[in-house]
Amino acid sequence: MKPRHKRIAAIALGVAALGIATALVLTAFQKNLVFFFTPSQVAANEAPQGRTFRIGGMVVVGSLKRSGVDVSFAVTDTAKTIPVVYRGALPDLFREGKGVVAQGSLGDDGVFRAREVLAKHDENYMPPDAAHALEQAKKAQRTVQTR
Amino acid sequence: MLDVARCIVYRDLLLALRRLSDVGTALLFFVVVASLFPLGVGAEPDLLRAIGPGVIWVAALLSSLLSLGRLFSADHGDGTLEQMLLGAAPLPVVAAAKGLAHWLVAGLPLVLIAPLLALQYDLAAGLYGVLALSLLLGTPVLSLLGAIGAALTLGLRGGGVLLALLVLPLYVPVLILGAGSVDMAAAGLAPDGQLLVLGALAVLAAVFAPWAIAAALRISLE
Amino acid sequence: MSTAIRWFWFASPQTFLPLAGAIARWCALGAALLAAAGLYVGFFVAPTDAQQGEVYRIIFIHVPAAWMSMFLYLVMALWAAVGLAFNTRLSHMMARAIAPTGALFTFIALWTGSLWGKPTWGTYWVWDARLTSELILLFLYLGFMALQASIEDPRRSDRAGALLAIVGAVNVPIIYYSVQWWNTLHQGASVSLTRAPSMAAAMLTGMLLMALAFWLYSIAVTLVRVRCIILERQ
Repeated sequence: MKPRHKRIAAIALGVAALGIATALVLTAFQKNLVFFFTPSQVAANEAPQGRTFRIGGMVVVGSLKRSGVDVSFAVTDTAKTIPVVYRGALPDLFREGKGVVAQGSLGDDGVFRAREVLAKHDENYMPPDAAHALEQAKKAQRTVQTR
Repeated sequence: MLDVARCIVYRDLLLALRRLSDVGTALLFFVVVASLFPLGVGAEPDLLRAIGPGVIWVAALLSSLLSLGRLFSADHGDGTLEQMLLGAAPLPVVAAAKGLAHWLVAGLPLVLIAPLLALQYDLAAGLYGVLALSLLLGTPVLSLLGAIGAALTLGLRGGGVLLALLVLPLYVPVLILGAGSVDMAAAGLAPDGQLLVLGALAVLAAVFAPWAIAAALRISLE
Repeated sequence: MSTAIRWFWFASPQTFLPLAGAIARWCALGAALLAAAGLYVGFFVAPTDAQQGEVYRIIFIHVPAAWMSMFLYLVMALWAAVGLAFNTRLSHMMARAIAPTGALFTFIALWTGSLWGKPTWGTYWVWDARLTSELILLFLYLGFMALQASIEDPRRSDRAGALLAIVGAVNVPIIYYSVQWWNTLHQGASVSLTRAPSMAAAMLTGMLLMALAFWLYSIAVTLVRVRCIILERQ
């Protein structure tokens, strides 16, 4: 191959690699990168049954109820809402209307029994992954509505 | 050009086979390091299951670093490397070939041995595949990035430790994505996202790293 | 033709020597003045924060230092690239001179971040995404300096460091995003350390003044260092 052809081949290979890599990364961002299940996914039975997993979303305003040491609230991604019960002290940053991640398991009655509650605090009022999850839920809602 | 590449890969594999102890040592190191952690943190199954993927990945990183030392040293010692520099084949192709040979000898075995180590950490059955796949995608990146470091530190005293200092920060994304993918799978989520990004890194490394390795070799040998 | 000669006129280390000295003196003066102004604003003018009290004031050093640490790495990589592309000794010398200052600011960012963490989050170290990325950046700086220090031949030392700096610079965004993602994975270390209180104008002014002061300081110190390197290599 003439040197000039080799050069062109090398550049073409480089561009192709960048293209493939970009395509892979873009596809990756459409997949679930967050480390929790959204309420929509839990409602659709996508979360593992009988095993510990994490649920993330926004605490529904007005849903927080305390009775002694037991706490109950609801987590939503604006499409579906899952009730959560928890026994223990909520973290300082826990607020209604803010993002939350809870770890525990789903009971047969559809109520999530949390063993640990984490509140992710950010400049924006919602953690970026929860916001992403919310977007996904909205997208799913739209496709359902157009049917 | 492809003939040259094939020759180099074949030659390196043959040399590695003749010095099987070199190859074996790095792999044994992988196994030993992964086996040390339970001795250090205790054998509680929940803890081991939680740290397993991370530990296996770190052990793979360290083993990779160990084996990089001899990537260029033998050829540098007997003058073959200078010949390659002056030869007709483009240096990036030579670099890619050496990288491939190194991965076949030092990276691929890690992929195959890792499931055995996963047994020690009582990882769930479904995770073995993800672990192996993450290592399959990640170890080539480790080999290629490490080769850049090996080429830069060619012939320097204290080269091994210096190589580790130079290359470990660059390894961080691969470690995070690799161990993270297995953690995602352990949480019941699909590890697709992480594996796709690992794939992207592998593609980028495969195409661009040989060019950097060649530049580094030229800098070190002139 | 005459413009071409003037472009490279100062690329000769010898001609650059006196110019570097002059610029360094002015920048040092500017840095001192701006730092005084910045610290005044930071400690006396900016209001007390509702949530964190007086402790937050450390951001007037922490944030500008972090900005400089990242900015200097980019500048260092740029000089390295210029040096490799045009084969100019002075460019490599500039890259070599910037590294210690960059490392210093990275260390300051980490240290002040740690000091900020103790009263606010109760612990000296949090695996916050930004702090962790700063730590890796420190390793990148130290690796660069170690590599250059361990090579005797100046030309090989310059060029090896340059390649390492460029490879590092290319990897920095990848490292940053992977560490950010890793941080969301383990929600335990959940609060972002660099979440400054919602910015009153005075706070922003203070930070900008300090950032400018650090920038001028960096220029001054780098040029002094470059002068030393030039003289060493004569």
